[in-house]
Amino acid sequence: MSIIYIGDRETGKTSLALELANPSSQNVHVLYPPYSQLKALLYRDDLGRTQSTDANLATYDRNIEVEVTLPAGSKKIHTTWIDTPGEIWRSSWQKTNPELWNTFLEAARNSEGVLLIVPPYREIIRPDDRIDLDDFVTQQQWIHRFDRWVDFFQHDCPRIKHIALCLNKADLICGVDLKQEAQQLAYHPYNARKNWMQRHDYVFKRFFQPVRSQLAQLNQRASGLAVKCFITSIQNRELLELPWIYLGTYLQHES
Amino acid sequence: MGNICIIGPRASGKTTYLAGLSYFNDYAGSRSSYKVQPLNDDACQLVEMAENTILQGSSIAPTRLGDRIHTVDDLPYYSFQIEIRKGLFKPPNILQLNVRDYPGEVFEKILQTNHEDTIYTEFIDECLMADVEGCLLLFTEWESSKDAFYSKLLSRFIAMMDERDRLKNYRLAVAMSKCERGEIWPGRLDPETDLFGVYLKKTLKTLKGKLPPQNLRFFAMSTFGVLGRYDPRPNRIDDYGSGGRASVLRDSPRWNPYNLIEPLDWLHRS
Repeated sequence: MSIIYIGDRETGKTSLALELANPSSQNVHVLYPPYSQLKALLYRDDLGRTQSTDANLATYDRNIEVEVTLPAGSKKIHTTWIDTPGEIWRSSWQKTNPELWNTFLEAARNSEGVLLIVPPYREIIRPDDRIDLDDFVTQQQWIHRFDRWVDFFQHDCPRIKHIALCLNKADLICGVDLKQEAQQLAYHPYNARKNWMQRHDYVFKRFFQPVRSQLAQLNQRASGLAVKCFITSIQNRELLELPWIYLGTYLQHES
Repeated sequence: MGNICIIGPRASGKTTYLAGLSYFNDYAGSRSSYKVQPLNDDACQLVEMAENTILQGSSIAPTRLGDRIHTVDDLPYYSFQIEIRKGLFKPPNILQLNVRDYPGEVFEKILQTNHEDTIYTEFIDECLMADVEGCLLLFTEWESSKDAFYSKLLSRFIAMMDERDRLKNYRLAVAMSKCERGEIWPGRLDPETDLFGVYLKKTLKTLKGKLPPQNLRFFAMSTFGVLGRYDPRPNRIDDYGSGGRASVLRDSPRWNPYNLIEPLDWLHRS
């Protein structure tokens, strides 16, 4: 049983996973491994960012122990968090490394949940001199990329049960105030403002309209659950935790 | 001891039904009044599942072969004590209910498999074992295109009952689930005539032709229910693009299921 992070290069998979372990937690506590240990492993002080995940391996498995506070009480989950390099989505890489690609497919198929991390597209990025727009794909490319995600989930991983679709780097999106969004979407085990359906609805209508037909295609499968949409940013703890709380609902108790 | 199976096609709401049943553990609605007490770990987890998913606006994950379930022994096994109160001066009907929750694909695959030792046959064997009193069969799709498929499935199932000598001593409660849907909600009062007799004619004929009438009864059930007595809008929202297969509870404070206990009460009545 595992949770796998997938997404293209530089979308923030490793940063998201690392930040989840940050001790400033609210409803998701990573009990093991400690943040300091993970940070030493993944963070490069000289670059001021996480190290890019090397494509010499297709999957990086790490055991983690998480405690999630749910309405029916807190739940301790022992799971494997699988980080994957974004590099593997290039078809040239897939052709030269067929064995590694199969390892990845195997891991993805056996995962209990998928965190699909997508970046924002160029048109919605907030104007700022420090942001290089060339780092981001255009809306059209972004939509095309979703067609390929649909293909991937329909043909290569048809039995995945839970997909949490995270629009990451939400802090860069024009008109998004993380605090306000977090207030809208915040989770609280007893008196949250929105339930999962309403959260999904809100994020879907605000950010994922351009790919609604692709998401409908994913939802049409006979078995498995619908895709749930999230926005995430390492700068906001509430938003960062949401996909894990959602997946945590479905993961088995530690036995 | 009442061993009962719950079977039905995929996404017919089997696990959701059980979760709803155990969440309303002390129910006193207009039609029925009952108490449910979980007796094992699996059953206790059902209540948690209801609180964490249904009440939070998400749906219960499908029970599927392969995930953790490889043989019959891996299936969730729920054990409850249920006390059904009949009225002020009548003694309550107390039953211990042991249920296995089958993945829907098992039921759908019985049509395709003719091999003796497949996992599907193993599941059906377990379901028709001598100590199983009967089974609650859930259907969800009422569109007439499904009628032929359901009827074939049931002929096969009845043939399997016959092979195992259970044809005359096995109770079958056939229920249309998710009856909160507007098109079929009015048919709930007489499901045999107004649901099965109208939408699933072939299925009805297959069942009535082969099974003794005292062992067959039709029910209409709704785990989510409608918004209120004078507000018959369904208390559910369908997930976008899922074609109505995946849906969530719309208004959790107004959650009021319909007819959950009646099929069990009938199945267990000797």
